[in-house]
Amino acid sequence: MRILIVEDDLEASSAMAKSLAESGHETVTAEDGEAGLRLARDSRFDIMIVDRMMPRMDGITMVECVRRDGDQTPVLFLSALGEISDRVQGLRAGGDDYLVKPYAFAELIARVEALARRRDTGSVLTILRVGGLEMDLIARTVHRSGQEIDLQPREFQLLEFLMRHADQSVTRTMLLEKVWEYNFDPQTNVIDVHISRLRSKIDKGFDKPMLQTVRGAGYRLES
Amino acid sequence: MRSPKVFRTTPFRLTLLFLALFAAAASAFLAYIYLATAGEVNRRADATISRELASLEAVYRRGGFAALNQGVIERSTGNQVLLYLLMDRSGAPISGSIARSPIKADLSGRTWGAFVLADADADGAILRRPARGAEEPMSGGERLFVGADVGDSEAYVVGIVRALWGAGALVLILGLAGGVIVSRNVSRNISSLTDVIESARAGELHVRAHVRGAGDEYDELASGLNDMLERLERSIGGLRHAGDAIAHDLRSPLTRLRARLEAAMIDADAGRTDPRRALQQALEDTDGVLRTFGAVLAIARLEAVGDAPDQTTFDPGALAADIAELYEPTCEEKALDFRSELTPGLKAKGNRDFIAQALANILDNSVKYTPPGGAVMLRVRRRSSGDIEFSVTDTGPGVPEKDRGRIVERFVRLEQSRSQPGAGLGLSLVAAVARAHRGHLELDDGPGAMATAGPGLRVALVLPKPG
Repeated sequence: MRILIVEDDLEASSAMAKSLAESGHETVTAEDGEAGLRLARDSRFDIMIVDRMMPRMDGITMVECVRRDGDQTPVLFLSALGEISDRVQGLRAGGDDYLVKPYAFAELIARVEALARRRDTGSVLTILRVGGLEMDLIARTVHRSGQEIDLQPREFQLLEFLMRHADQSVTRTMLLEKVWEYNFDPQTNVIDVHISRLRSKIDKGFDKPMLQTVRGAGYRLES
Repeated sequence: MRSPKVFRTTPFRLTLLFLALFAAAASAFLAYIYLATAGEVNRRADATISRELASLEAVYRRGGFAALNQGVIERSTGNQVLLYLLMDRSGAPISGSIARSPIKADLSGRTWGAFVLADADADGAILRRPARGAEEPMSGGERLFVGADVGDSEAYVVGIVRALWGAGALVLILGLAGGVIVSRNVSRNISSLTDVIESARAGELHVRAHVRGAGDEYDELASGLNDMLERLERSIGGLRHAGDAIAHDLRSPLTRLRARLEAAMIDADAGRTDPRRALQQALEDTDGVLRTFGAVLAIARLEAVGDAPDQTTFDPGALAADIAELYEPTCEEKALDFRSELTPGLKAKGNRDFIAQALANILDNSVKYTPPGGAVMLRVRRRSSGDIEFSVTDTGPGVPEKDRGRIVERFVRLEQSRSQPGAGLGLSLVAAVARAHRGHLELDDGPGAMATAGPGLRVALVLPKPG
């Protein structure tokens, strides 16, 4: 993927570029909102990572300009401001996701890939298929290799999110934010326990475990 | 050059203003007394003169010129206070106690006049005394003058006036002295307060203004100032404590982190170990520091805003059910009997995210500290007062009553909990959330001691009645 990084902290942006390059992405960096806006207008990107607070033109203004141009490239905001109202402001300006600094690279990459994925799979699908798993979003049923799996409503939502992001790492924070819609980190490993419950339901009795734990990052549903 | 401090004080200036008003009033009073007294003296002298003239006129009517002349001679020879002079038609003296008329009279009727009487005293010094007199033509053409020496009476008036001036001066001096005393007194009271303010400004928040117990406005001001300083000292103390605690809680993991990195570098240089493990550990330590920092920041922000932002009306039972659902598998895994009793259909007002986080923090603590086999109960109910209560009761070790106030403070962790992860900010954040909703946090015993477990802890987050 071709990714535009707009960040005034050069050290942070070069570290980010390096880790994204290692995951196989091409990056272009800009130091402030004005330069970022010029680049966004001159060429096409798959994702834009935009810092909120920058000299000359801040991230919010830049993204508002991009959206006014009719450009719908997914935007991930980076910010040291993590209050709910800050997030809402970022999403209102046209951001698609909001990551609070400091972040782990695993978290950043997982979110970037999730954003790119969301772009090509619309939500028009009524049946999701990953490997032997099949989820019917209308009938609210899940089958693996033809065998019905009985899930609680929250487990269903959790699996749906994992299936929509199959073969990608998703972090605990992403799950809390997107499945439970909480913006805080519980101290205990509540998410791990939900995952292991789900795992016991979808992987038990099958040779190949699909729900994998990714060390230092989170989880991945493998097809 | 500036005037001495006491003269610049407000009370002294007010005293001066008052004195000026008083002096004006006193002058008017003096002027009135003077006019009234002096006029009275003249009126009395005039009445005496009129009486004497009338009496001599009666003598003239009865006995003619000879009788009048006789009367004037008789009256002039005695030790008389009055002055007499009988003149012929042309004004030449016929008889009397003075040689010529001291006033210029016209001939049509009685003429009054004031004049000065020159007299020599026993030592031969000339005394000039004020006098008044009247001259009247008789029916036969003779002219009669009667005068009176008013010197003694005027001296009396002058004495009174002098006494009044003296009294005025005394009033002024006493008033000024009073002003100085009053302004000194006020200044002393105020300056003890300004001294305290000055010290506070210099950073000495422990100083207190003296409250004399008189119950006056100075005492009110002083105790108000003391109250303000008390709060300021407490909140600055809290900040300082938090600062120390942050330094401690961030410094120890940072020190560990640094030591690990240093050791890993030595080992890697020597080719002894794979530095990956050390880096992994360093990352975990960094995350710990960041979590602590995030919690401190969240509390500080909540405390800075006063009232929680983005408050909406919500169903507290539904919110608690969501959180319960999040924690239920964890409890099951830890073999904790987790139950909830949530009154449906209640209404609460607040910031949902903060309340959810507070509830999660309370549950986190219960799950962390309750030993396997124990129970955790989550309740949402409306109190008879209308307040909304979220409570979590567990069968863990509980918190001794003497420590309950303390564990809500930032970074306080009881000795028994040192082995558990966490920065000791969980309940501080809950307390901050409660305060930001004008509610409060309650800590009580749980269900009581049973065998080795207990007595448990009951933590309640109470939000005020919505609306």
